[in-house]
Amino acid sequence: MLNASRALKAGAILLLAAGILAFPSLAPNPYILSVGVLVLNYAALSTSWNFVGGFTGYISLGHGALAGLGAYGTGLLVAKGGLPPFLALFAGATLVAALAVPIGFAALRVRGASFVIVSISLVLILLLIFQSWASVTGGSRGLVVPRPFDLSRPEHHRVFYYLFAGLLALALLVWWLIDRSRFGLGLKSIREDEDKAEALGTATYAYKLIVFVVSAFFTALTGGLYALWFGDLDPVFQFSILTGSYLVLMALLGGVRQLFGPVVGAIIVGTALEYFKGAYGDTPLHLVATGLLLALVVLFMPDGVLPAVADLFKRFDRTQSSSIREVTASELRDERLKKAEGAAR
Amino acid sequence: MPSGALLFQSVLLGLLLGGLYALLASGLTLYFGIMRVVMIAHSAFLILAAYLAWWLHDQAGIDPLLSMIGTVPLFFLAGVGLQRALLTRLRPATLTMMSVLLTFAIALLIEGLLGYAFSGTQRRINLGYGSASLEVLGARVAVVKLIAFGLAVVALTTLYLLMKKTRFGWALRATIQHRDAARLLGIDTDRVAGFGFGIGLATAAVGGTALSLDTTIYPSLHWHWIGPLMAIIVVGGLGSVPGAAIAALVLGMAQSLLQIPMGTTWAQTVFYVALFATLAFRPQGFFGGRLAQRF
Amino acid sequence: MIVTLGACSSSSGGDDANDKTDPITIGVSLPLTGDFSEPGKGVQQGYEAWAKIVNDSGGLLGRQVELKILDDQSNADRVVADYEQLIGKDEVDLVFGPFSTRLVVPSARVAEEYDMLFVEPAGAAKEVFEQGFKNLFYAAPAVANDHYNHLADKILAMPADQRPKTAAYAAMDDPFAQGTAYGLKEKLEAGGIKTLVDEVYPPNTTDFSGIAAKIADSKADVLVGGSQYQDGVNLIVALQQLGYQPKLAAFSTAPTNPEFASAIGNKTEGVLSPTGYSQDAQYPSNKEFVEKYTAQFGKAPEEDQANGYTTGQVVAAAVTAAGCAEQGECQKKLVDWLRANTVETVVGPLSWDETGKPKGAHMIQQWIGGDIKIVLPEDVKEAEFLYPKPAW
Repeated sequence: MLNASRALKAGAILLLAAGILAFPSLAPNPYILSVGVLVLNYAALSTSWNFVGGFTGYISLGHGALAGLGAYGTGLLVAKGGLPPFLALFAGATLVAALAVPIGFAALRVRGASFVIVSISLVLILLLIFQSWASVTGGSRGLVVPRPFDLSRPEHHRVFYYLFAGLLALALLVWWLIDRSRFGLGLKSIREDEDKAEALGTATYAYKLIVFVVSAFFTALTGGLYALWFGDLDPVFQFSILTGSYLVLMALLGGVRQLFGPVVGAIIVGTALEYFKGAYGDTPLHLVATGLLLALVVLFMPDGVLPAVADLFKRFDRTQSSSIREVTASELRDERLKKAEGAAR
Repeated sequence: MPSGALLFQSVLLGLLLGGLYALLASGLTLYFGIMRVVMIAHSAFLILAAYLAWWLHDQAGIDPLLSMIGTVPLFFLAGVGLQRALLTRLRPATLTMMSVLLTFAIALLIEGLLGYAFSGTQRRINLGYGSASLEVLGARVAVVKLIAFGLAVVALTTLYLLMKKTRFGWALRATIQHRDAARLLGIDTDRVAGFGFGIGLATAAVGGTALSLDTTIYPSLHWHWIGPLMAIIVVGGLGSVPGAAIAALVLGMAQSLLQIPMGTTWAQTVFYVALFATLAFRPQGFFGGRLAQRF
Repeated sequence: MIVTLGACSSSSGGDDANDKTDPITIGVSLPLTGDFSEPGKGVQQGYEAWAKIVNDSGGLLGRQVELKILDDQSNADRVVADYEQLIGKDEVDLVFGPFSTRLVVPSARVAEEYDMLFVEPAGAAKEVFEQGFKNLFYAAPAVANDHYNHLADKILAMPADQRPKTAAYAAMDDPFAQGTAYGLKEKLEAGGIKTLVDEVYPPNTTDFSGIAAKIADSKADVLVGGSQYQDGVNLIVALQQLGYQPKLAAFSTAPTNPEFASAIGNKTEGVLSPTGYSQDAQYPSNKEFVEKYTAQFGKAPEEDQANGYTTGQVVAAAVTAAGCAEQGECQKKLVDWLRANTVETVVGPLSWDETGKPKGAHMIQQWIGGDIKIVLPEDVKEAEFLYPKPAW
């Protein structure tokens, strides 16, 4: 079936992919290229975050910690374990995924509130551990991860740009596959109404745990790749509560129900962050801006910009209006309330 | 083996610290009880109050204790406003998650504005009685720590009496227990919820003043407090004020005593270990239990 | 055009070297906000004073110097992005180092991989010199672990009946602060002084009552604090609250801060601190520095400012000798010259070993009669070493 909005969507995705791939040859200097690497890093992280946030609706503020664990896992395996860099990357991510099982076991037993508390606590406790356990982690002295390739700095950025792009593509592919599977359907039913999903026989706890571990694996993989790219790890920056909040902001802004939502969010927020820091220095004002933006998104655009844009297109495309849509429980509830209010008056 | 004097000293310090934790955790518990909201910005408001106390002392030489005359009502109004203007706008279905993000955003906002106004430099009030101390059975207790503890006790007692003995307290407890039923009884639950938030935030004003007496403050300090506080309310049983108070005293004491063999950093992990243990083995909390639904 | 861009940036740079009227641009990233903002601003003033003094006397190689300073918010990700931007995008001719060991190592790597000379004012911990950097030079007299050398010698030379027997150490979890305290610890332990307490606390610690309780309980003769500023003050106040009276108390950095005395209630008598700089030092360039700095900023320079200024002096000496200042081949010439020569600075003559480590020691200052004075080494002292320390 040929219709306008579908063609538009496919076109937009092709354009995005082409833009991402062409960027290194268009970047005017190595600095811009390094910004591109950073943005892709954010895109991969927030897509990994979206496995939990998008499917189950559980909002984790602690994914920064999982990325930090991946970074340190990879770094330690290379620097102290002597493994080849990319073997260490996968070994590190697997270890983090294994660790995510007990974390998820504790965090997912209780609904919502406790999950968020645990996710924040995870960042804080790992910061303490990695700072204090200096004999292993290097503590505040930091950990130096040896360079995997012997390249000049601009070449180093270019290689890692494509590695990050590859990782992002892999994460997107897995997200897309889950989205279309029965497993994905079960997860989404948790997001809409966990009690009903459970009553209908969905193994909600197991589903949540599995997707949390998958998310941890991709997050750790991205973190580990960052460690290989950046080279210097410091607990204060690896286990920062801000990282997690950036990821949430990116995913929410882009739209958690959309495959490309987090990527779009990462491009917007990541570029803006870099631009403001470059233009105005890294003053506390960027905290204010992040806080304001997050509050505005939560209050007025909890579904993200992509759906907002899609709505705009739908207005011009009347043929779509009668087809079956995916509607959230909260939207239905809002609709019903509105109708009830209208009837009362 | 630590000496008896050191143990006794640590017990005293733990008790004083636990008192402050108890006051702060009571505010967090209140928010959660009323609206199922985890208020990440609570400790950011705490630091804000401490900054206001420091600033007034620095600029006008006003004793930090007097600054409460201004900050407590101000924070009460801010709490009411926060609940009525912002939190009620969120969709009920996703309230718990989105309110976390919203209060998180507010915390970032406060941290950023504090950093902008006062820079990241660590600040400390220089009080004439800052290094004075009293001797208690061979241990020494700093006067400022005693004042801070006294503030916490007075505020907690006031909160207790307010909840137990007044009509408003009755309405608040009814709202916490069963909102719809409370509404049917003719309680204006929206108003009560707003006031409950105001009271919660007012405890942050008192706590911040107590904090400013004896420690250094800086804008990002609130992350240092929110972790232990969240652990306390989970261990105490979400929504139970007495549970939170007991958990605060126990964990404060544990932290203080563990510092002797483990050092400062590792001792802080006790909060998170307790948090994970609670969730894994007794998710309803250790001290709340069935009582969690009542006051 | 597009294809060749990646390769050209490090070799040729934007402006041609033969255009001699262009100003020499110098890129710096400093923590102007965040944890290290206070010393960061101090270093910034040192850099600015250096630029002004150089420009007022006709510039370097006949060209004016121009500083481009970015703020890294005490953040390692930021500091790397900053130097990346300065070298890769802004194509500065030279770079100066940032503040704090934590930031020096990551930024030195950027400079190293772009083949830039990297003279830094603040990476004093020994780890900095263990990374195999070839372009790095530390512009101060001594690394952190050697700061207390004169004090250790003095203590160990005391007659056995007066010499302190026990010591307590408390250090911030920071490579620099820990380096100073542990440098002294090693030497005192080797000399037979027993360690009773050895505490490390995270940089964001605000409550020192637990650590203070342990130290007070140990009743150690010597108290050594590996401190920055506020943590030292907090620890001293907490110890005063517990009534602990050591015979000797030494803190890094904190006691040299102008607000130190009022912050601990003016009970400073006898407190010791190492310093790499003295306003009264008789080195030729120091007089000019103190005079012009005071004229520019309205107060005399402190150690951080002097470290920044020294960095400028070291780079200027290399540029003058090599006769060039741009990216590319020139940087290698600058590095080779510094490796082989000694530079006269406001903190004395400096020379470096092959890792960039300076070969010197710090002076020891002590609070005496309400003022901080140099007491060690003997040949530059302004007052007699006071021992045991009066009660605080």
